[in-house]
Order: sequence, then structure tokens, then C-alpha cells
Amino acid sequence: MTNDEGDKRPPSSPESTTPSSKPRGLSGQKLGNRRVRVERPHSEYFRYTPSGALEARPKAHEEVDSGRRVMATARHVLFGRPLASAEEIGERLSKKKALAIFSSDAISSSAYATEEILRALLIGGIGIAALNLALPVSITIALLLGVVAISYRQVVVAYPNGGGSYSVSKANLGRLASLIAAAALLIDYVLTVAVSISSASEQIVAAVPNLGPWQVAIAVVVVAVITMANLRGVREAGNIFAIPTYLFVGTALLMIVLGAWQILVLGEGAAYPSLQDSSIDIASMAILLLAMRAFASGAVALTGTEAIATGVPAFQPPESKNAATTLAVMAVLLAALFIGITFLASGYAIVPNEEATVLSQVAGSVFGLDSLGFYLFLTFAAVILMLAANTSFSAFPRLAAVLAADNFWPRRFAYRGDRLAFTAGIVVLGVLAAVLIVLFGGDTHALIPLYAVGVFIDFTISQTGMIRHWRRERPPGYRRRLSVNALGAVITGLVAIDVAAVKAPTSLIVLALIPILVGVMWFIHHEYDTAAEELEVDRSRVYGPPTKLSRVIIPVPNLSRAVIRSVQFGRSLSDDVRAVHLTIDREAAEELRRDWERMLPGVPLVIVETPYRSLVVPFLHYLDVMAPTPANTITIVVLPEYVPRHWWDRFLHNQKAHRIREALIGRPNTVVADVPYGAVRSGDGNGHGVLDRTSQDGDEANGGGQSRRRPDRPPRRFGWRR
Amino acid sequence: MPDKNSGTPVKRAVLSLNGSPTDELVIECGCKLARADHSELVAIYVLQVDWRHDLDDDLEEQREDASRTLDLAEGMAEKEKVPLESQLLQARDVGAALVDEAVALDADAIVLGLPYKVRFGGDFALGETIPYVFKNAPCRVFVVREPVARSEERDENMKGI
Repeated sequence: MTNDEGDKRPPSSPESTTPSSKPRGLSGQKLGNRRVRVERPHSEYFRYTPSGALEARPKAHEEVDSGRRVMATARHVLFGRPLASAEEIGERLSKKKALAIFSSDAISSSAYATEEILRALLIGGIGIAALNLALPVSITIALLLGVVAISYRQVVVAYPNGGGSYSVSKANLGRLASLIAAAALLIDYVLTVAVSISSASEQIVAAVPNLGPWQVAIAVVVVAVITMANLRGVREAGNIFAIPTYLFVGTALLMIVLGAWQILVLGEGAAYPSLQDSSIDIASMAILLLAMRAFASGAVALTGTEAIATGVPAFQPPESKNAATTLAVMAVLLAALFIGITFLASGYAIVPNEEATVLSQVAGSVFGLDSLGFYLFLTFAAVILMLAANTSFSAFPRLAAVLAADNFWPRRFAYRGDRLAFTAGIVVLGVLAAVLIVLFGGDTHALIPLYAVGVFIDFTISQTGMIRHWRRERPPGYRRRLSVNALGAVITGLVAIDVAAVKAPTSLIVLALIPILVGVMWFIHHEYDTAAEELEVDRSRVYGPPTKLSRVIIPVPNLSRAVIRSVQFGRSLSDDVRAVHLTIDREAAEELRRDWERMLPGVPLVIVETPYRSLVVPFLHYLDVMAPTPANTITIVVLPEYVPRHWWDRFLHNQKAHRIREALIGRPNTVVADVPYGAVRSGDGNGHGVLDRTSQDGDEANGGGQSRRRPDRPPRRFGWRR
Repeated sequence: MPDKNSGTPVKRAVLSLNGSPTDELVIECGCKLARADHSELVAIYVLQVDWRHDLDDDLEEQREDASRTLDLAEGMAEKEKVPLESQLLQARDVGAALVDEAVALDADAIVLGLPYKVRFGGDFALGETIPYVFKNAPCRVFVVREPVARSEERDENMKGI
């Protein structure tokens, strides 16, 4: 059933896509029905899109240099294969994964918020009776959580591009307020990582005391592991972190239900001494202050609530709706866990002590000490504390990307890496958190006073912004929404003051850092603005051919093939070409001049003797003093550059050329051109380059600069192989 | 020539593209086949070379247009997650080249597109390629005719130009 010169090959065979040098003539079934197969060498690398633009395919992203190729392979093994931008939608988070990623911080705080309240109440001097206030305080905090969550649900719907408080305040309160909100949040995200991982490493050391000397190292390793998991992409991070989060939530809810049954139905609980029995007047100022102190301590439970509003674009469509639902579920879960654990602590009359955490006492009371449930629950609690850091790893890079898009943060932070993650933000957060952990010796108690101050400043700004939003937009029912935000703004503002005051003087470090960070962001914006103004083009103008003349100056160290190629290249640019040789050896220079005049007639060689042995700086002064650029002329400094055979050769060659190039950057009316000479790759037809030396004389005679392009790469213009 | 594989799944289908609006229909049809039968698709664009040129002449502009069409086909198939290879041929006769290539590839189906056109006088025009393929292809042949409404819309647009 075939002839075609044995061409019965399946289309997927390698030969069918490998460019060949000649079109293949194939005969048909009938005489005269010949056909020619045309190779399309570009098709492996580039593809036309419907709009007519070219799209670079995966092959066009492969590294050419063998060293870089090895690095890229290692990167792919470590972090996974690169993802195309079109795959971004597949990287979006479902509500279940988003709950695990964005809520681990908030949910994990239920593991320690109750203890923070009990400890704050206990040191008030009233005694154990004061612990009766724990449940009302936790319910009040849960109500505040409700107000904040409702407010952020509104933010999520009104500002679907993410950025949370930053976007709200930018739209409604102006630049300064938005930068304060952003700075406060960025600081708090770094602290969240440092605190949660320090706390987790403390738990590990508590379980295995022999690891004590390694506590900081353990924390740093955990930061590195979470950083790497996040560099693999947000979806994979969700896969990794979802299970422990749900295990903690499941076992904690089970514990609350079991405990409530034991206390309310079986009557197995206990009670603190009544406040009425104590000598303190329960309506006194002391009780109020104590409650406020406990409120400030327990308010750490609210940290992380804003993360979902920051990361709305990470959700699957419809993004806003899914984010709002996830936020509501998170708030309900957090409130249930927080109130439930506090209820159990009060129901069993648990008192904080140095031997065991409140959470472990509660778990021991419900599941029984040394039971399987007890150990499982505490293990999941330790893991969730560790993963609380992950929320910051999702939120910090996104906020940094939003800031970068607005030119308030280096633009590098807005670019997605191979895995569509905001690589720069993730790495910087990991590094900063690790530095903080090392600086504070991994001591959670030293870090805690810095924590949560920024979040409440952020909440306050965000809610205030939403008040203005509703006043401006005035949609149906806006008064109700506005009053929720107004109430939230007042309460969170008071809590911000309360938290800062209670945690002073350490908390003042954060209050000092915020304006510094705002200043840095302002400076970055100013720099970008200035550069943009300088680069702005008048788009109504039509640009004709150049009117300036050019002259070429070539610093030459000797007479080599690289130099000759540079001179020939210079001659192709201008008739005015001169070479400058700086030397400390007069005799060698004279010898060079003789050869030069014989080999390159018509190209003047200027010899500059430098008795102080400096070569680069005298060359720069020569340009300024001896050869100032004439009016309406551009000076082209052509630098002969040896292309090294190996990566380590780079340290041995071209050092002066690099220094001259760096020194000439920014010099008016001056252009620097590198003319490489040396090892080039020639293809073996299979995309594997081999090193070869250039054939010199022919090319040099033509005066062309050597191309770095590999011969096995597609031509830049899509010609056709014949 | 009867198709000895009639009724069996299509393992490899040749999609004939020519840069016309029916290409999209051909690729859609090919993708449906591929999804149903897990078949391989080979998109072929045959550049017809007239007798003023040698068969292997570099017809740069036409080749670039053909390449765009093949690239778009690859892109469409990739979106549908269907494997598709593309080939560019030059031949004197499109139908013969298609049939010969299908034979060489051991394809068991050829899919072609047919614009709805009527000749002067009202006869429905089938062109030359499709009858040739019908007569000579040893495998199944699918012809996707564009909807009449679409062709009328196109004609209206052409009048506008």
C-alpha cells in the first residue's frame, strides 16, 4: 500500500521534526505525482499565534550553555517543570485548598490564643477567679472577628484584584494610608513566619530535649523547607499543606464536641472560684483593665484574617465569590475553635503553668492523658503551628507583587517564576524570617511583642477605607455595611492602640519600622517615576534617519585576532577609526606600532605611556581630554573581547574590558560595542553544541562581528531550509 | 479501494488544511475523532506549485502563510489536549499529495474542509481535490462542509471589502 521511497514512518518519529538540509523529494503512487516535504525549523522553537505574534515554545526557553542547562535541570528536579502562563488557571486554588493555605495562620492561632488570654488574666493580681473572664473575652474577640471578616468579605467583592487593605486604602484614603497599610502588613507577615516557626521548633525541642542546641537550626531548616514548597507553586503548596490543616481542624472539633458532652451532659467538668467570692469589685476599673489586657493578648487570633483579601486572584473563578465563601468558612471555624477551646479550658478549670500548655491540658482532660487521641491532637497542633507560616508565604509575595505593579516595590517582585509563583517575594520572605529567627535566637517570647501590632493598624486603615468606599458608591443597603465598617474601624483602632501599649516598648520597633518602610517605598516610586519621565517618548513624533556622525575608538592591548576583528568592525561603522594602546613598556609599544602600520594601514594607533601602571583611568581621561567628542558626533568605543572556552576562563580574561565598559556607562554621546572573538558553538544537528574555534581571516576581512548564535538554532528571520 | 478497517477506530488521521476558514472545522472534527478514538492527528498543508516554478522552489510568502496555518492548528489541538503533528508539502496536485502522504503515514482517515460555494449558474462546487481524494484514498474520508449561513456571512464581508 505504499511506495514513497520507504517513507512509512509514523509522524511522531524524531526524524519527522528534525530539520534537514535538503527538502526531501517524495514520489507518489502515480507517475508524476511527486511532492516535496518542507522542513519548518522554527516550529520547534516558535509558533505563530492567531494575532500574528510569535509565541516562544518550551524549546526556545531551554538554556544554550551547558552549565546553565545543568542548573536548569537541577531546578526542574527540585521545583518541578516550568509552567506556561496559560497554565496559571490550573494553578488556581479551589476553596478547600485555599482554606488550608490562607487560613492556616488564623486557624492555628486557636491553638495558643486561649492560653494568651488565661496568662494575661492570671498576672492581673486577682487570682484564679479572674480566669472566669476568659470565656466572655474570647466571645468578644470572636465578635470582633465577625466584624473584621464581614468587612473583608466586602473588600474581597469590591476589590477582586487582591491587595486587600492596600487596595482599599489606595482607592479611598490616598497614597500615604495605603503605604502604611502595606508596610504594616509586610512587617507582620515576616513576623508571622518567624514567630510560628520559632514556636514550632520550641514544641519539637520540648518533645525531644536533646535537640535543644539545634533549635535555631531546626527553625531555619523549616523556613527553608516551606520556602521551597512554595517555590514549587501555590497549588502544590496547597497539596502539601492541606492535609495537616484539615487533620487539626477535624481533631480539634472532635475534641470540642467530646469535651462539651463530658462537661454539659456527663457533668465531669470543674469551675474556677467565682469572681463574686473574691474581694475585688467586678465592676471596678481593675477588672476592666484586666479584661482589656486579656483582649489585647487574645486578639492575636485575628492575625491572618486579611490574607484571603490579599490573595483573591489565587482563587478559581469566580474568584471574589470563592474567596468570600472561604473567608466566611475560615471565620466560622476559627470562632468555633477559639470559643470551644476556651469553653473547655474554663469548663475543666484549667490554669496555665510552665509544665504543660493550656491546649495539652485541655486535650488531656478530654481524650485522657497518654491516650492516642491526646498524642495525635498535639502532633497535629504542632504541625499546624508550623504551617501558620505558610499563609504569609502566600500573602506576602502577592502583596509585594501588587506593590511592584504600582511601582512601590522593585518590579522583579511582580514577575512569576518557572512555577508561576512570585519567586522573589517568597525567597525574600524566607530569608528575612530566617534572619529574624537567628537574631532573636528562635525565642518566641522575644518575638511575640513585635507581633500583631501591624495587623490591627492594617485592619483599622482597611475599615476606614471601606467607610469612604460606601459613602462614595452608596449601593442599596450601604448604611448597614457602612455601620459595620465604622464599628470595626473604631474597635480595631482601639485594639491597635491597646496592643501597641500592652506590648510596649518592644512593639515600638514595629511602629518605627513602618515609616521607614513607607519611606523606602516612596523612594522606589520616585526612582521609577524619574526613569519613566526620562524614557518617555513623544508618540506624535516621526523619527527620521540619524543625523549624527560617528567615530570609533578602540582600546587595544596587543595585536591579536580579537583586535583585528574589532578594527574591521569599527571600519564598518565609521571612516574615523583610531586605536589607543596604553602601555608601560615603550619598546614593546614601538614594536606593536611597526606591525600595526604594516598590517592595518590607514588606522592610526595612538600610544599612551602610563608610568603609574594604571591603564583604565588614563584611557578614560584620554577620551575626555585628548579626544573629546566633536559636536553632533557619537563616540563608539569598540572593545575586543575574548570569548572564553570554559566558565572559569571568565576570571582570567576581559577584566580590563569589563572595567572600561562599566566606566563608560552613562558617558554622554558614547556607545560601547563588544566584539567577541574566540570559542563558538557549532551544532551537531541534534541540538548539542560542541566547542570549536572560529575561522578568522575570512570573517575579519568582511569586518563583521562574530555572532554568538548557535548554527543549530533557527535563523532569526524564518528562512526555509533547502 | 475498499477500507479494510471500516468500523474500527481511527488510529491516525490526516487533516488537510489550506488556510481557508474551513480549517477550523477540519481541526475541530479531527480533535473530536482523536478524543473518541485516541488517534494521532497529522495536519498537512499542501502548497500547490504551478509549472512556472520548480517543485522545490522557495515560495517564501506562501510557505510563511502555510506555516502560520499549521501553527494555529497545533495551537488549537494543544488547547484540546490532542497530539497533532504538522507537515508542509509542496506538490503540483494537492489531492494526489494528500493521498500519497496518507498512504505513507498509514493513516486510516483523511479529513477535508469544503467551503459552501456555487458556481456561476447555481451548481454546487466541489472543487478538484475532494473528488480526487474520494476516488483514490485507500482509507476513510471525512468532508466537513461549512454551514451555509457562515458562507453567506463571508460573502457579505467580501462584498464589503
